[in-house]
Order: sequence, then C-alpha cells, then structure tokens
Amino acid sequence: MKREDSKFSRAVMAAAILVSLAAVWRHYQPPNRDLAFPAGGIVIGVDASFPPFAFDNAGALEGLDIELGEAIAAEIGLPARFVNISYYGLYDALITGGVDLLIAALRVDQSRRNEVRFTQAYFDNGLVLVTAANGEPINVNALSGAALAYEYASGADSRIRAWEEEGHTIARLPYELPTHALDALRLGQVDAALVDAITLRLYAKERAEWEYSRQFVTREPYAIALRIDREDARKLVDRALAALKDRGELARIVQKWF
Amino acid sequence: MTLTSRKTPAKQTVARKRRDSIVVIIGLMVFLALLIHLRPAPRDLLPAEQQVVKTAKGHVCVHTLLENEVEEKKILRSLELVRELGAATIVQFFPWAYAETRAGHFSWGRFDRIVRHTKRQGLRIIARLGLVPDWLNAGETKTLNTLPEAAFPKFAEYAAAFAARYAGTVEQLIIWNEPNLSFEWGYQPVDPVRYVRLLQAAYPAIKGANPKAVVLAGALAPTLEPRGSEAGLNDLDFLRDMYAAGASEYFDALAIHSYGLREPATAEPASDKVNFRRAELLREIMLENGDGHKPVSITESGWNDHPRWIHAVRSSQRSAYTIEAFEYVQANWDWVEQLCIWALRYPADLRSYPDNYTLISAGFVKKPIYYALQDYARGWERSANLWLPPPEADP
Repeated sequence: MKREDSKFSRAVMAAAILVSLAAVWRHYQPPNRDLAFPAGGIVIGVDASFPPFAFDNAGALEGLDIELGEAIAAEIGLPARFVNISYYGLYDALITGGVDLLIAALRVDQSRRNEVRFTQAYFDNGLVLVTAANGEPINVNALSGAALAYEYASGADSRIRAWEEEGHTIARLPYELPTHALDALRLGQVDAALVDAITLRLYAKERAEWEYSRQFVTREPYAIALRIDREDARKLVDRALAALKDRGELARIVQKWF
Repeated sequence: MTLTSRKTPAKQTVARKRRDSIVVIIGLMVFLALLIHLRPAPRDLLPAEQQVVKTAKGHVCVHTLLENEVEEKKILRSLELVRELGAATIVQFFPWAYAETRAGHFSWGRFDRIVRHTKRQGLRIIARLGLVPDWLNAGETKTLNTLPEAAFPKFAEYAAAFAARYAGTVEQLIIWNEPNLSFEWGYQPVDPVRYVRLLQAAYPAIKGANPKAVVLAGALAPTLEPRGSEAGLNDLDFLRDMYAAGASEYFDALAIHSYGLREPATAEPASDKVNFRRAELLREIMLENGDGHKPVSITESGWNDHPRWIHAVRSSQRSAYTIEAFEYVQANWDWVEQLCIWALRYPADLRSYPDNYTLISAGFVKKPIYYALQDYARGWERSANLWLPPPEADP
C-alpha cells in the first residue's frame, strides 16, 4: 500500500513538473505572427482628433501615432490599416475585435487590466517643472517660497494644491493658458512653470533659441493597448517597439512631431 | 475479530489536539462575529436638514456621474456642489447592469443612496437607463451596450421596476443613450427601427409601473455620419427614421444632445454642421411629425477647453459660449425644459480631452466654468478673473 502511494505521489509530481516545464517553454517561445494577426494585416484604432498624435489632414491620417503604427507594422512585417474612432469608442472597438490594437495617446490605465494589456510606454506626458537654463535649479522637495506659474484648473493646478497640503508655501501664479505660464518663465517673471510635457515640447519647438531645464515631477506614460487574450500580438508589438527604441527610430518619430 | 478497537496513547493525543483546534477555531469565529455585530454603525452622511436649491434660472441642469462613485462622501459633495451651483436638476445614469446583477434579482442599494442624497439636496433627477448586464451576453465577446432584440422585454422589466421603485421622486426616464452611434449600440450597425422596438417594449412597461412617468426618447449623438457609415447615423436621419417607424406613440418628450464644438451658441444651424443650435433642426422634425406639443430636454451640452483637442475652444470662450447658450434657450426656445451641461465631474480624471468637459476636477477643484455658471444661475455679479493676464515683456 505504502509503495503504491509513493508511486502515485511520484507520478503526480512528475506530471506537475512536466506541466510547469511546458508553461515555461510556451512562455519563452517566440510569438507566432500568423496566430497573432491571422488576417494578415494589423488593424490599428486611432483617434484623429488629437494632434500631433493623430489628425486628419485633408482625408489622410497623420501624426506621431500613425507613424509609430506604420513603423511597428513594418517591423513585424505586415501591412497596417488605420481606423479612426472617437475616444469614447476606442476600448469597445478593441474588446469586440474591431481593431487589433489601439495607438491613440492612451495613458496606461490599470482600471482596464481585466480586459486590456498595455505595451511598454512610447511617450511620457507627465508634469514637468521647468526653470530657466541659467537659473537656480529648484528642488521639488524644497518648493517653499518659489513663484510658480501654471494653467488654472489644470493637472498642474491640482499638483500644486497637493504640494501646499503637504506644507509647501508656494507663490501660485495661475494663467489662462499653459503657454502663458511658460511665457512668464521665459520673460523672467517667475521662478518656474509647471506644465505637461507635450505643452513644453510644442512651446520649445517654436522657440528654438530659448534655453531651459526641466525635471519630471509626475509620470504619465502613453502606451499601446491590446486585448488581454492577444498575448502573441502583444509580445510582437512590444518587441517591435523595443527594436524601434534601440535603433533610435522612436526618438526620431517623436522629434519629428514635437 | 472485534468491531471495537482501543486507541493508542499517540492516537488519543492527536484526537485531543484536533478537538482543541476545533474549539479554538469556533471561539475565534464567535469572537469575530461579535466584533462585526458590535462595530460602530457607519456614520450617516445624509444631511439632517432638507436642502433647498437657490437659483434664478430654473433651466440650469448638469449631468452627474455618480453611479461609479464608491465613497458616499463624494456623492454628497458632488450633489452639494450642484445645489450651490444653482442647478435644480441633474441627469444621472442608472445602469441596468448594476441593478440586476443576476437574472431576475434586483439590488437597489447603490441607486437608493444616490436618489436619497439627491432628494435631500432638493434636486430633481432625470434618469438615464441602459448598460446590459453581463449575464445576458454570457460567454460572448460583447460590449455592455450589446442588447439582443430578444432581451428587449428584459430591459423593459428593469425600466418598469426602476419606475415603480422611484415613483414620486424620479419621474423622467431616458431610454438608452445615443443609439445612433455604433459603439453605443453594442458596436453593431445602428438601427432606428430596432430602437423604436426598444421604446415600444419599455414605454407601456414604465407607464404601467408609474403612470406619471415621462419617457424620453432619443438622446441622439450630434453627428454627421452618412447612411451606411460604420460609426453610426446622423441624428437628423435617425430621428426621421424613428418617426417613420412609429416612434411617436412611445415617448412623451425628446432628449437632445447639443454640443457647441468650436462655434458660439448663437451660430446658425445647418444639417452639415454640428453646433449648439442643431437642436432646432431636430425640433423641426418633431413639428413635421405632429409632436410640437412634446417638450425637449437637452440632456447633454457644453464646450470643451482642452488646449490641444481639435474640437475645443479656449477656457474664456467656453465660459462665454456656455452662458450665451443658457440665455439663448431662455429667450428663444420655449419648448426646452432643461439645458444640462456635460458633466459635473468624473470619478477619476481620464487624463485626456474628455476631462475638459467637466465643471470640477476629480479632486473637486472648481474650474473657471463652474464659477461662471454659478454667477449666471444664482443671478450674481460675475466673479473677478481667476487667472492673471497674459504676461508681457517688461518695457
């Protein structure tokens, strides 16, 4: 009896090891392109109301998200087709299989983790504390006394109010537009400006002579979204994105649009 | 051979230990039960006093999104801010999926809390009904807006149960949201005739449950989508098709969504553009179909002031156009009962341009538009500027 028990235990253990090995082997298998995109192409959902990420230029879709989608599809070796969807319909299109993936300046949203997987980030639109290049650097942890320009009622406004609740005394200077806050900094009227990274990039692009320094105070990663059951597709897209990063291709695309 | 066996001392010890463990576990369970029973009752956040809305403009209304709010204090604070704004009415979504979590089993606690607080703040509710429970589409990849026609009677049962439960408090019910958009119609081709069949199922059920209930149809999205578009069908053709399918018998009032996008509130309407006065074109279709006696509620409206979204305006324009819209409605549209701004607040910021439709941030920071609307609704002088003038280079 004891010997039979022992045999049974060994058999169960062997089966468990085999199953585990199979799972590990499966995990490290290269994703299968034909299984990942069985239609032989990649359908990408975009929101063409959000320049410079995506917009409609006389009937043609253009922007950072479009160019990134084309580059990823080329890396995978499949053609890309873009579908323009309003923000509110993007995730439904993904979940119902209307599109294979979403490249739409989407912030990684953990509340969707039961249905959606995100790739690594391709852009960060966090808040940046901007100071003059030749000015005194400001430590985020020692903001007390600083004159800080920002857009009224924006994310920067909320962040500054939170800093005040933490005990910092900040001379708050709200402006109607975030570009006004950067103007105030550029003109030397404030110690620093707090804006989102996109605003700073677009502003600086138009003022090539302006020198500044910046530090991220929050992170807001934009990533590509795929349905949770499309693991092979996610691996392929993630690898393609990593390859574009390694070759400096992603940086070139971002630089082009900002 | 004997049927009884004497336990060895070792076995007796094991049995004793087992018995002791069971006693300890039972003791712990009793202790926990006592703790739960004796814990202090949660503080009732409902204000003791009945509140009253002070307003100079009875048609000011806002769309709230309290259905996803977990914390009661946030529901309370949101509704206080609506009352302080001077809005007497809210539009609030009551998702079917939240109420009927199992087939035939309704749990109303979540809705009761919203209705109780709204009532205590002295506010009226226009209820929007929709969102399909999971169990109806079990095993299939569908969205929560996918409602098979065979399930229309089930939706009607929910609508009737809702109407009966909140009779005397919630008297206006909108059937579905923007059925002329594919993604609001379960990501399938939109179909005005099928929407009318949904109304046909819901209308008598609601009236049977509460004869005083006002059933609102439509809530169509203002869009220019042509026939055959994958995304949907424009609101004008959709409404015409609804009437052709006999919709008139199955609603008491029309809900309209009227967004201004980049144009002022007074900009002329046209069938090939979306602006605030597009509502007049829908009204013409009502008149053509003999429904001039039915009122309209604009249950979604507003302007967006995101700095980069292509359909947005500047914050200062947003405030000006919004007030202009309320003034225009009061002066020119006696057929409109409410003008509701989308939206008071999202439970969490989306971190994209939709955030710039709200009056207050997820963190309850009032935006400039809130103050502007409050001044108008309460009949106050306009507040001083909330931001500094654009900086200028020193001379």
